[in-house]
Amino acid sequence: MTFRPTEHHSGRRILATLLFLLAPAAAAGTDGFSAGELERIASHGPWPTEWMRDPGNRVSANAAAIHLGHRLFFEPRLSANGRVACATCHDPARGFQDGRATARGLADGTRNTPGLFDVRHQRWFGWDGGHDNLWSASLRPILDQREMGGSATRSAALLRGSAALACHYRQAFGKAPKATDPDLLVNVAKAIASWQETLASPPTAFDRFRDALERKDDAAAATYPAAARRGLKIFLGRGQCSTCHAGPLFTNGEFGDIGVPFFIKPAGVDPGRQGGIKRLLASPYNLLGAHNDDATKGNATGTRYLRPEHRNFGEFKVPTLRNLTLTAPYMHNGSLATLRDVVRHYSELDEDRLHTDGERILKPLNLSEAESADLVAFLESLSPEAAPPTPVEPPGVAACR
Amino acid sequence: MKLPDNVPRARPVHKCLATLLAVFAGLSGAVAMLPAASAAEARLPIFDAHVHYSHDAWDRTPPKEAIAILRKAGLKRAMVSSSSDDGTQKLYAEAPDLVVPSLRPYRKRGEISTWVRDESVIPHLEDRLRKYRYAAIGEFHVYGSDADLPVVRRMVQLAKQYKLWLHLHGDSDAIERVLVQDPDARILWAHSGFDRPEAVRAMLKKHRKLYADLAFRNDHATSGKIDPAWREAFIEFPDRFLVGTDTFTPERWYYIAEHADWSRAWLADLPKDIAERIGWRNGETLFASMMATK
Repeated sequence: MTFRPTEHHSGRRILATLLFLLAPAAAAGTDGFSAGELERIASHGPWPTEWMRDPGNRVSANAAAIHLGHRLFFEPRLSANGRVACATCHDPARGFQDGRATARGLADGTRNTPGLFDVRHQRWFGWDGGHDNLWSASLRPILDQREMGGSATRSAALLRGSAALACHYRQAFGKAPKATDPDLLVNVAKAIASWQETLASPPTAFDRFRDALERKDDAAAATYPAAARRGLKIFLGRGQCSTCHAGPLFTNGEFGDIGVPFFIKPAGVDPGRQGGIKRLLASPYNLLGAHNDDATKGNATGTRYLRPEHRNFGEFKVPTLRNLTLTAPYMHNGSLATLRDVVRHYSELDEDRLHTDGERILKPLNLSEAESADLVAFLESLSPEAAPPTPVEPPGVAACR
Repeated sequence: MKLPDNVPRARPVHKCLATLLAVFAGLSGAVAMLPAASAAEARLPIFDAHVHYSHDAWDRTPPKEAIAILRKAGLKRAMVSSSSDDGTQKLYAEAPDLVVPSLRPYRKRGEISTWVRDESVIPHLEDRLRKYRYAAIGEFHVYGSDADLPVVRRMVQLAKQYKLWLHLHGDSDAIERVLVQDPDARILWAHSGFDRPEAVRAMLKKHRKLYADLAFRNDHATSGKIDPAWREAFIEFPDRFLVGTDTFTPERWYYIAEHADWSRAWLADLPKDIAERIGWRNGETLFASMMATK
């Protein structure tokens, strides 16, 4: 049985674009935004945006796998000490983050736990993009000695030893969990990934504003706070933020060096994307490997041509800006506690930390207090008013006991 | 016997001799040493022409630690500059055999785009040049007509007076202007100007005292294979290129070893003689020799 992914809106999107193009004069100056700004605002939606099931994961959007993945996500017995689950760091009440600067599983980590809402839209996974698919990104923490410290043997024994989990596994994969331990571990990860694919954040105040502009509904647009509106102007214009934080997800999905120090304690550095690419290319779980369920391997093109470059050293993922109010602190190492701190970082950017031939777009914004507050108001408008509820499992799966 | 990391790769005849010796040594139970010796022998020394050691670097990675990083990376030598120059001097004092000092016109970070119009840079340079030994002035950033500003002109004169290299980060226009000021100026073109290989070749052809470092660029090699256009440049001008890491943030000191290995990988795609010249011999001939003969 296949769980129905988010409905596509491409038809409506094309229509909206056409209408926009047919009436440029009318659009110009609408709500204080220029035609160019309106076009860029429109590019940040609609939300939710379209999504295709993952061809590399045979149980992507599979209702039974989502049931299984949900249970495994909260299952501490996957860990070495039986006390750490995926949900230990990815707390549903905090946007699937933990509120800590850096993660703590079995031991302290060096990176901020990323939130999981809308993770299905990502192209590379992790701050360093060390994974090219969601199931391998879900597998790594299970094995990582600092996180869950589990193993293929432990995961397989859990599946085989639990009647309920074995039943869900049978429903999801069409057979009993009798494969080899390593193959079962991969399937555990694929089921967990299929559940994470359902973690979609709801439309926000910005989305409602954006849609109101699209349909020229002035009354609805007027409910968007003036401060957020001014912040949006900075975001699109002087800040050039939307160059990297692009599209409905507010990220281009790539990596950048924004001048955040990347030393780690007690010694050494976090190589970021440079190390991530090396790790990805060496991984047996990348899309070039045998566990990719896309027989065409068409989903592996990006990985096939990926090579680390010097500039990648110290680059980290351009994160989505959705759900930020749920996922403080910020940056790859959680070094900035508040959104105000993030805005200050860009306002007072230390250009000397950037290569003169690197991220040329980055310049100190030199924002006033009022402008900073406006930009923060805009960023806050990209989050839901309250933490979204954990998704309800899709119906139609027989009960397992 | 394990060779020190900075010993050049042995010539074939020495290699044969070493193998023979190893065979005899094996009779006395020492043959287990051979793989280590071979590994050390195989590691190409590197002259890293583009290292910075600014105040935030020495705060975080003190001189002893920094020198250990360079030695572990198998560097034969490193041309080091810093903001302020104190970093360079600290490192040079720690390892004069390893560090080739270069003097930046920057007294602190943040002067990259302002120094060309800051006349106080001149007494800074004059003072340091009187006190310390250097092989070069740089790395400094200058583009286009800024190269004709009085501060830059005076710096070019000082380089001539002290017989120093200029490590110039800028465009070909700036290089042309400096060479009008002093046709005999010796320039190391940082990052080869981030220019295309054809344009770099044209500049090298036009200016016989222009040399180019390849720091912070990847376009000349992918996975150890050299781009054909760059290969032509290296073959045509084997004595004019050098490699470099560019440690523009303190964290990048931890990339020096990685960069050296990356360089070794693509240099191995060249004839051995050319690889050695670009990898370290050019740096030795051009810069290290200056420090030795002063």
